Amino acid sequence: MLRWLARIEWATVISTIALVAFGVLMLSTTADPNTQGLENQAVQKAVLGALGLALAFAMAQIDYRGLHGLAAPVYLVGVSALVVVLLVGDFDLGARRWFELGPIVVQPSEFMKLAAIVAFAKYLSDRSDSARSLRTVMVSLGIMLIPACLIFFQPDLGTALIFGAIWMAMVFVAGARWWHLLTPVVIALAAFPFAWFFAQDYMRQRFVTFLNPSSDPLGAGYNVLQARISIGSGGWFGHGLGQGSQSQLEFLRVRDTDFIFAMLGEQLGLAGTIGLLAFFTLLIVQALVIGLRARDMFGRLLAIGIAAMLFSQSFVNIGMNVGLMPVTGITLPLVSLGKNSLLVTLLSVGILLSIHSHRGAAPFRQQSMHVVRGSLPAAGPRGVLGR
Amino acid sequence: MSGTRRALLLGGAALAANTALAARLWQLQVVESDTYRAQAAQNRARTRPIQPLRGLIYDRNRTPLVANAPVFSVWLTPADLPLEREGPVLANLAVLTGERLVDLRFKLNQARLAPDVPARLARAVPRESALTIEERRQDLPGIAVRTGTRREYAHGDVFGHILGFTGPIPAEDVQTYRGQGVRFDEDIGLAGIERSLQTQLRGRDGEQRLETDAFGRALHELSFTPPQVGRHAVLTIAVNEQKAIREILARHLALRERGAGAVVVLRPDTGDVVAMVSLPDYDSNIFTRGASSESFALLVSDPRRPLINHAISGLYPPGSTYKVIAASGALEAGVVLPQSKIHCDGRLILPDGWAFDDWLPQGHGLVDLERAIAESCNIYFYNVSGGNPYTRLQGLGNRRLAEFERSFGFGQRTGIDLPGEASGLVPTSEWKNKNLQQPWVTGDTYHAAIGQGLVQVTPLQIASMYAAIGNGGRVMRPRLVDRMLDHHGNVADRTPPQVRGVLPISDTNLQLLQAGLYRAVNEPQGTGPRARSAHTVVAGKTGTAEYSGARDAEGRLPSHAWFAGYAPAEQPEYAFAVLVRDGGEGSFAAAPIARDIVDYLVTGDMPPLPQNRPDFISPDHRL
Repeated sequence: MLRWLARIEWATVISTIALVAFGVLMLSTTADPNTQGLENQAVQKAVLGALGLALAFAMAQIDYRGLHGLAAPVYLVGVSALVVVLLVGDFDLGARRWFELGPIVVQPSEFMKLAAIVAFAKYLSDRSDSARSLRTVMVSLGIMLIPACLIFFQPDLGTALIFGAIWMAMVFVAGARWWHLLTPVVIALAAFPFAWFFAQDYMRQRFVTFLNPSSDPLGAGYNVLQARISIGSGGWFGHGLGQGSQSQLEFLRVRDTDFIFAMLGEQLGLAGTIGLLAFFTLLIVQALVIGLRARDMFGRLLAIGIAAMLFSQSFVNIGMNVGLMPVTGITLPLVSLGKNSLLVTLLSVGILLSIHSHRGAAPFRQQSMHVVRGSLPAAGPRGVLGR
Repeated sequence: MSGTRRALLLGGAALAANTALAARLWQLQVVESDTYRAQAAQNRARTRPIQPLRGLIYDRNRTPLVANAPVFSVWLTPADLPLEREGPVLANLAVLTGERLVDLRFKLNQARLAPDVPARLARAVPRESALTIEERRQDLPGIAVRTGTRREYAHGDVFGHILGFTGPIPAEDVQTYRGQGVRFDEDIGLAGIERSLQTQLRGRDGEQRLETDAFGRALHELSFTPPQVGRHAVLTIAVNEQKAIREILARHLALRERGAGAVVVLRPDTGDVVAMVSLPDYDSNIFTRGASSESFALLVSDPRRPLINHAISGLYPPGSTYKVIAASGALEAGVVLPQSKIHCDGRLILPDGWAFDDWLPQGHGLVDLERAIAESCNIYFYNVSGGNPYTRLQGLGNRRLAEFERSFGFGQRTGIDLPGEASGLVPTSEWKNKNLQQPWVTGDTYHAAIGQGLVQVTPLQIASMYAAIGNGGRVMRPRLVDRMLDHHGNVADRTPPQVRGVLPISDTNLQLLQAGLYRAVNEPQGTGPRARSAHTVVAGKTGTAEYSGARDAEGRLPSHAWFAGYAPAEQPEYAFAVLVRDGGEGSFAAAPIARDIVDYLVTGDMPPLPQNRPDFISPDHRL
């Protein structure tokens, strides 16, 4: 047991626990006071967080390289689930994003993020000798675009863009040429006017609102403006837990999910927001460090992908709350209400822990593949931060 | 293993991005925090102005002339009405309230200036509409029905021109009223006393601050300042007298085709208004209840202009009622002695060929001042005002005549507590040069002396002049408002009688005028025998004021009929001016009206119908 615990990367665990705790704290202030026990959304989150963390601890003991073989099946299951949800998913809030499995609501796009990270990691590490070739970039782009397009049509533009960010980070670290990466960006920018023409109304509206939320305070800009007012009125230390007129009188809408950060800003002030930002930064930095220290390219790319996922989601969400990013409906990982997102993020943390605890383990299976491909030595050079 | 540098590069980028977020948080939560704090407070607290009840208006005997009747009004809190739903909501309201869509849109745009303050969209909606709106609250976000008040006038038909009415602020005046703390959605006094006493009747707003949640639900009260109820006005007029005098005028005018006229009765000593009538008139209630468009169109299109209070705003030549001014001027200036006689042979032809006639073609013979007044001899007043080149009589002259006219209160407003009073015109050579680019001639002075030509006066000015002659020479400011009461009924403000000026006439000369006015009514040769009362002694003067219009069959110009005077002749209690517009001879058309009014005021009984009198002469039989 002690040996197990010694293999845990504690900075990662502590920042994860802290972020989940922030979420539980915020949800407890908005929970319906009539609910008891497991009906209470804050209790639910705490329990699920604890279970997920236990799962992550268990995953730390299992070699992440088992995922290498699972990559293709997991990817295919994920894409199938996305197709299914598009066809028969629950239509809610103008989108098909969920379906119900008994009492559980499943949001395939959340799991797909992790599945895509594993798939990229496998493909890119398998082809690390030809990482600089255009073919590698194009194939991996295809792997990304299939789920991203399915999610785009739900419609959920925000999550689809997160896929792009993850892919870009992983391909970049895998060693793609600069211009291979910049070309899609340039194309995307050039395509913007056309995209604008074909975009759904809500997307255009969100973009306009992002540029000037005051233009329509009761319409689409309402949430952005109220979020900014909530955060700003928090000041240094906030109004205190459960206090603050913006969130308590519900001027701030979607306060449990998209705008939970604004609620935190109002109740706990700059101390709370900077604290939360610090824990996110710590978690992301730890993920990168774990990636740098990983014993193989597969592990490194997995960790980079997870870091990219955590960063892109938290940055887009907080940026939206403070008015630096358009409203995209991206939730704050670990903190927001969504259970699918929490579970997937904790699974990702489990993978990180596994990569860390197996950084010095003897290679198996994968090494033979490398040998067969005859490209890389079994263990790469130590990361610069390695001991 | 490859990618280490690139991974570090990504880490650096993430750190930089999060540092940017931290900087933004610093900006929002430290640098700009006060702004957002204020906005949050504004989100949460809603100020609801509490409008005070408008003060009432009473007659002299404390009979209420107006009440605040409860009505359902429709209010909007713009903050609760999303922009994209404005169109359908306003369209629905236009149907439910009967208000015009453009008006609703204007009010909404005004209301958006203070989005969290409820604004009144419709003043009085029928009960059924109010219930429908309440039932459909879900479809009408931000709309609420509240009870409000509407002015209801107890004697609106009799007091129309005096009380006026209230109504929504005209769009072009909204800014002005906002400066005075009056909201755009209020009713304000638009005419009459309601307008002239607007500020006092309105009172001062109270304020209720409520904590509300994001859905506009009021949670609890943060503070409450009660409104200051408007003051009540007590008029100098009594309902029964005003009503009876209006009825008397109406009966006489009813004998004519499209009869129109005005009466003003004053208390000579104080200037108190006893009655003020301008016919045809309107009922104040049609404006507050919402006039049917036909009755409103009728009011607007009537060429007699019933919406105007002709007693104070109508301008007419005063005719012979004006002669007392030239008379007193001539006496005071020593142009003539009281006993001096001037020969009247019915016509005065100036050397340049212009002829000036008397109303009596054969002339009055030798007349002194008293007889000139009593018999209204034009030639006498031509002589004393403009002079006579044949007898070398030096007249008063235009300049001094104008001074006397002004000292009798002409050419200026009397200062009555009503809006829209006209000041009239005292013509002078300067005025004529400037406005007509013509030189002043002797004939102009002649005409001014007999109240013709360029002179223009209001009936109120004439009544005020005769009140001054009757009371011994004090020109009083006509008093319509006796006092203002606070909401406990205590006197908050009393308007004392106010002397505007003193006639520049010696007592002896004033008595000569009074004697002339007595003789005009009570001597056989006088012009006003039809004003003679069986119950008291009337003194007064007729007037037949020609004005430019279509001549009749005998080639005479149309004329307004006047009678002005006071009663009783000794110690007068009432001074009056009666005008029958296009009424013909003052002695036939106006004098009987004055007599009936005096009879009524002295006895308290309604006089018999004019056509039932033995001396009745139909207005169709012109002399």
